[in-house]
Amino acid sequence: MKRASRPLAIYALAAYLFLHLPLLILAAFSFNESRFTVWQGFSFRWYTAAWHDSQLIEAAINSLIVAVCATAISTVIGTLCAYGLWKRRSPVLSGSLYLSLVTPEIVTGVSLLAFYQWIFRFLNVQLGMHTVILAHVSFSIAYVVIVVMARLRTVDGALEEAALDLGANEWEAFRYVTLPAVLPAVAAAALLAFTVSFDDYVITSMVAGVDSETLPMVVYAIARRGVNPVVNAISALLVLGFGVLILISERLRTT
Amino acid sequence: MNRRVFLLGASGLAACTHDRRPRLNVFNWSSYIAPGTVPRFEAEFGVRVRYGLYESNEEMLARVMGGNSGWDMVFPTGYIVKPMLANGLLAALDHTQLPNLAQLEPRFQQPDWDPELKWSVPYMVTAAGIAYNRKLDPPPRAWADMWDERLRGKLTMLDDPFDTIGAALKKLGLSVNTGDREQLKRAEAEAIKQKPLLRAYLNAEVRDQLVSGDVLAAHMWNTTAQQAMDSSAEIGFAYPLEGYAVYPDCSVILRESKRPELAHKFIDFLLRPDIAAANALAARTTTTNAGARKIFPVEFRNNRTLYPAEETIARGEWAKTVDPDSQRLRDRMWTEIKSA
Amino acid sequence: MKRLRAWFLAPSWTVMLSLFLFPMLIILAYSLLTRGTYGGISLPWSVESYQRFADPIYLGILWRSFWIAGASTVISLLLGFPLALFISRAGKWKNLYLSLVILPFWTSFLVRTYAWMFLLRDTGLVNSTLQKMGIIHDPLPLLYNDGAVILGLVYGYLPFMVLPLFGTLEKLDRNLLEAAADLGARPWATLLRVVLPLSAPGIRAGVILVFIPCLGAYLTPDLLGGGKSVMIGNLIQNQFTTARDWPFGSAISLALMAIVMPLLIAFVRRDEEGLL
Repeated sequence: MKRASRPLAIYALAAYLFLHLPLLILAAFSFNESRFTVWQGFSFRWYTAAWHDSQLIEAAINSLIVAVCATAISTVIGTLCAYGLWKRRSPVLSGSLYLSLVTPEIVTGVSLLAFYQWIFRFLNVQLGMHTVILAHVSFSIAYVVIVVMARLRTVDGALEEAALDLGANEWEAFRYVTLPAVLPAVAAAALLAFTVSFDDYVITSMVAGVDSETLPMVVYAIARRGVNPVVNAISALLVLGFGVLILISERLRTT
Repeated sequence: MNRRVFLLGASGLAACTHDRRPRLNVFNWSSYIAPGTVPRFEAEFGVRVRYGLYESNEEMLARVMGGNSGWDMVFPTGYIVKPMLANGLLAALDHTQLPNLAQLEPRFQQPDWDPELKWSVPYMVTAAGIAYNRKLDPPPRAWADMWDERLRGKLTMLDDPFDTIGAALKKLGLSVNTGDREQLKRAEAEAIKQKPLLRAYLNAEVRDQLVSGDVLAAHMWNTTAQQAMDSSAEIGFAYPLEGYAVYPDCSVILRESKRPELAHKFIDFLLRPDIAAANALAARTTTTNAGARKIFPVEFRNNRTLYPAEETIARGEWAKTVDPDSQRLRDRMWTEIKSA
Repeated sequence: MKRLRAWFLAPSWTVMLSLFLFPMLIILAYSLLTRGTYGGISLPWSVESYQRFADPIYLGILWRSFWIAGASTVISLLLGFPLALFISRAGKWKNLYLSLVILPFWTSFLVRTYAWMFLLRDTGLVNSTLQKMGIIHDPLPLLYNDGAVILGLVYGYLPFMVLPLFGTLEKLDRNLLEAAADLGARPWATLLRVVLPLSAPGIRAGVILVFIPCLGAYLTPDLLGGGKSVMIGNLIQNQFTTARDWPFGSAISLALMAIVMPLLIAFVRRDEEGLL
């Protein structure tokens, strides 16, 4: 396989270019003096504007809180679920997980809103961050289960049998034998869950309350008219921030 | 994540939870207010305002439909007022708390969607017309010009069933609000005939492409067209000769509101001529406030895209609520047009 | 021992029952009611919404949606597989490379799509570059056609393919591959005979995660397809927004789910140790 590596690396470079090209465009235009996509000179004015737009910043913080909470919850629940299903099938549960994936977004949003409103008749609560986080958990679990399950299917069940024979209990067998084997897939699943949560607009806009507007909601409201340089600026900042975070965590992990 | 941003946000959140001032939650269209309006209201009345944005009636309606959205005030278009009322979403207005109501232009004092202004107060008004590149010679003047072969591939229509079927109806000299099956079918045939010429069905997103020259003529709202005209001298706007649809956006108070008095104060504040003038000037929109028009700078008062002449206004037709049967027919027609 | 196993599934059962299955019962009820005069829902009960959907024009839209989602999935697989393979072999860099796949997706979907619109339009970067290089004279119609929709979908869902593929490829035993090479198998043969079959679970997961959301997409056809043709997602979206016909929207969604689910089960079942 060694010989295949060089073309593969060249291909990967091209693929990364494809994935990042729109991002580079966006970053370039966030420095454009003009409001439109016609270059009129270098400027930081949109960054200054984004900095002073408290609504945008608050929405970005809300989005981060929601995505982090929803990812943590759905990754834990989803990984446990994938493991449970791996040990013993449950057609009804896995069927409903797939069904949740097949449901059109707007229908998920409408059904959750109707459900919340029914619940609220009995409880004195309102739409807010909690309803958004719960909604995000409900739609991202299926992603986690599917990704983790794909990995579990390549794991040899005999290893765990051996651990049990050697006196480990079921939890220990999971914790020390199987979980380490699927950890890369759990990380991939968490990334996926974070991405679907951070970018969700349709469902969030249905179940969000007055104080839980997320970044996609604000972006949709102000950018539906076309390219908006303030939105470009905050997007570029966020990607830069995430990129730095990833580099730091890589650094910490490898040293 | 930038630490300063985070600290700023965290302290902001902390400040929110400790602020005991009464709070008004206002949900409005984007680009519909001057930046200074909300701070001024907050300072004058010692309150806080949470000002949220939406970009379509449907989006707003979906959120407030349940009756526990948390918003106090929204700004539906005229034809949405009746459905909202029918679904029990609106609170009645108390005119004694709205002394500035007299500032409205006469044509908005008794509008047909709410003749006594019992539930809604007209705020801004938008019209659908033709935005075009001045390179076009002769420039489009009528809907019929939007069926012209010379525009092939350089023409867009709005991605909205009411607007685009409405344009076809107007081309045929019919009312945009018609429920007549045979008339609607004729309009559908016109729209299907036009489709091969179209570059796309686009809403406000077309603005950038009009400026860049990718699109030469676009079915567009006058406020969006004004934004394009502000950034390029190449762009013009025409109110079609056959007539056009007009959309009034109104302030309403939701029945779920826990602070109706404060909401009344905000509506009345928006009706003050100086505030209304500042909002229209900053957002580049058409105010319904006669007092505001008197204090506009001359060039803004004479802006014919936002403030057309009387005879042009006379060609406009209010968009009305569509009854269920013709709504279903229109939706089906729209699917047919899109699939053609 | 058995009891512990139940605890692994208990949280997901709770979430799925309360936040998915129960709310979907509400949608089922909506689909069997009638549109109110001003939108919303009202009595009487009726199956009329389902009857309305059984109509050649809607079935044509359904067929078109399957076609576009299918094409996008195949292209995503072809583009995603080598990339996942590359990342799985990147040694200590693999987490970094994996993150780089995801990074662009932490900006808003709308923003990314606008960037593509800017690239693809007549006066956009691609056309103006080609014109400057003298390769073309007139701008190519890159935007507002099915090609642009598929491009947008592939771009939007590529990570959903790469992540599960990476999950399984990363697990492949390097010794196995080296053994194949030692036995004289050429790289391509190893790829087809060893790597591909062993990564089947990842391919299946990726195909599902890309195909299903593509099928329900509505913003990409609107923005990159210029709204000139509808996919089933647009049809459903329209019912809940402009048409304000919730019963019909609910019925179309449930019908779509009823059509897709058996296909999905059949697809998953082919895997012996399938989820179902």
